[in-house]
Amino acid sequence: MSSPLTGTTGSKVRGVVGRAFLWLWLVIGLIPILFMLLTSIKPAGIANSIPPVWLFTPTVRNYASVLSGGSGHSEGFGQLLFNSAVVSLGATVLAIVLAVPAAYALSMRAFRARKRVSGWILSTYMFPPIVAVIPIFVFVGQLGLMDTYAALIVPYAAFNLPIVIWILRSSILQLPFEIQEAAMVDGASSWNVLRRIILPLLVPAIATAAVLTIVLSWNEFLFALSLTRSDAKTAPVGLQEFTGMYGTDWGNITAAATMIVAPILVLMVVLRRQMVAGLSFGAVK
Amino acid sequence: METTATPSRSVRKVGGVGSARRQHSGAGPVSGRRRRDGARVVPWIYLAPAMIVLLALTVAPAVFIFYSAFRNDNILGGVGRFVGFDNFVQAVTDSSNQHSFLVTIGFVVVVVILEMVLGFALALPLAAQTPANRVGAALMLLPFAVTPAVAAMIFKQLLNPNYGWVGYYLGELGIAKGADLLGNPTTAWMMLVILDVWQWTPFITLILMAGLQAQPIEPREAALVDGATPWQMFRHITLPAMAPFIAIAAVLRTIQAFKTFDPFKILTGGGPGESTEIINLGIFRVGLQSFNIGLACAMGVLFLIVLSLFVPVMLRLIGRRADPEEM
Repeated sequence: MSSPLTGTTGSKVRGVVGRAFLWLWLVIGLIPILFMLLTSIKPAGIANSIPPVWLFTPTVRNYASVLSGGSGHSEGFGQLLFNSAVVSLGATVLAIVLAVPAAYALSMRAFRARKRVSGWILSTYMFPPIVAVIPIFVFVGQLGLMDTYAALIVPYAAFNLPIVIWILRSSILQLPFEIQEAAMVDGASSWNVLRRIILPLLVPAIATAAVLTIVLSWNEFLFALSLTRSDAKTAPVGLQEFTGMYGTDWGNITAAATMIVAPILVLMVVLRRQMVAGLSFGAVK
Repeated sequence: METTATPSRSVRKVGGVGSARRQHSGAGPVSGRRRRDGARVVPWIYLAPAMIVLLALTVAPAVFIFYSAFRNDNILGGVGRFVGFDNFVQAVTDSSNQHSFLVTIGFVVVVVILEMVLGFALALPLAAQTPANRVGAALMLLPFAVTPAVAAMIFKQLLNPNYGWVGYYLGELGIAKGADLLGNPTTAWMMLVILDVWQWTPFITLILMAGLQAQPIEPREAALVDGATPWQMFRHITLPAMAPFIAIAAVLRTIQAFKTFDPFKILTGGGPGESTEIINLGIFRVGLQSFNIGLACAMGVLFLIVLSLFVPVMLRLIGRRADPEEM
């Protein structure tokens, strides 16, 4: 075996050191996640005992208690998860509906402003949410939309638009132009080209962009913290209130945390390549 | 793609109204004045909905903060008045604001450098396509997949001085028994950096891993035949070939790091004292907790100006890669 990657003894040693570092990192990196999962299934009373208890009979009572609104919570955590789901899916649908035609326009070869408009849309990615949240807080208040789903759906869609448009646009640019050209020669309008030819071919890219938007909206904290009180409160914000003045039930917190993280974790692991490609604006294929 | 691009490229070079005929003959199907005007208007119609939303959620807020930065409006206290540059003077001279700006930049520099170096070090062994590495890449992603607000909450529990695993096991090892690692500015900063590195290094690693896997093997084989040392091969072949991936990862990560809010809000809340109050927390406190909108907007304007310095770099790196023909 003398490939350029595993050549000399020196590089073999380096390879071993590198792999050791990699696996050490991976194992240590799992500890917080392991802590969350283990604590969430510990029986009441030993969740935060010191020294930590490693052998115990697993229980789902923490999950049941959190979902039923036990231990000092007025609303069940299920309602907060539902709010998170509505907001994430709403933002995703809105972002995709806005982005598909926009990405198509930005892929048109005859559209001379496309470079400038693409650049502007991309540059809005750097716009810091903290700078937007104060004006949006004022606007939402004046529109009477405080603590509604809409107050989160529209900003989430907007802040994910650059990434979504960028993903869709690069995949339209990768389609063979001849397909569009042939349809146009046959007299198809641009709308029909988009609807009948591009859209079916764009489904995988739309799926990637949609999952990315769901994940980023589900995880969002700043806007949810600022623009909701109770009716539209999302799960990550609700989780923070578990540390109340009556002490902290670690079993409940970690059960709630696990329920927030689990769906995202599954989506991300299954669609790892697509996620990284999307988050790097398609720079990595 | 290259061949089909030729007609439109010639159109763009000619430009102006006179090019309509060229465009016509070049692009093929366009016929008559109606379609020609259509070709100019249609893209804007497709773009309009997305642009309206983006204008409403980024440009309108930007206009609002530029306007409000010169006034002393208070959400609770009714309508304020024009106060000139007072807010900017306060934003720049106030020592806690200066501290916020400085620690923000310090935090970004430290985590981006750490994550780039660690990310590269992890990507090198992970790039070899072995069965074990397929598992490794999935495990690598896990911290990155944890909701940031949840991750901060979990770290807060792990670091709890009375019940946390970290304090207990460090104590067992004879180090820092029962220490309140979040109660001291230096260790609080270390914990924030560790949390960020834990969560975001995987992002860098996976980008660089994809970059390494895309490298052709021939140049390295040739160099090996010519007797190059591993370091020479890394320095003169791998590193230059990886430059675009490194640049993109660094720019994206820098922009994201400047937006960091959740871990600071949840893990330290800016404390102890104001030692870890980065600009995002400062603006949040001044604007949405003290409702001093004018000052918060002035800080926002300054922050926006700093961040906009990165726009040209980002456009060049990402724009060129996504659409080499155009940018």
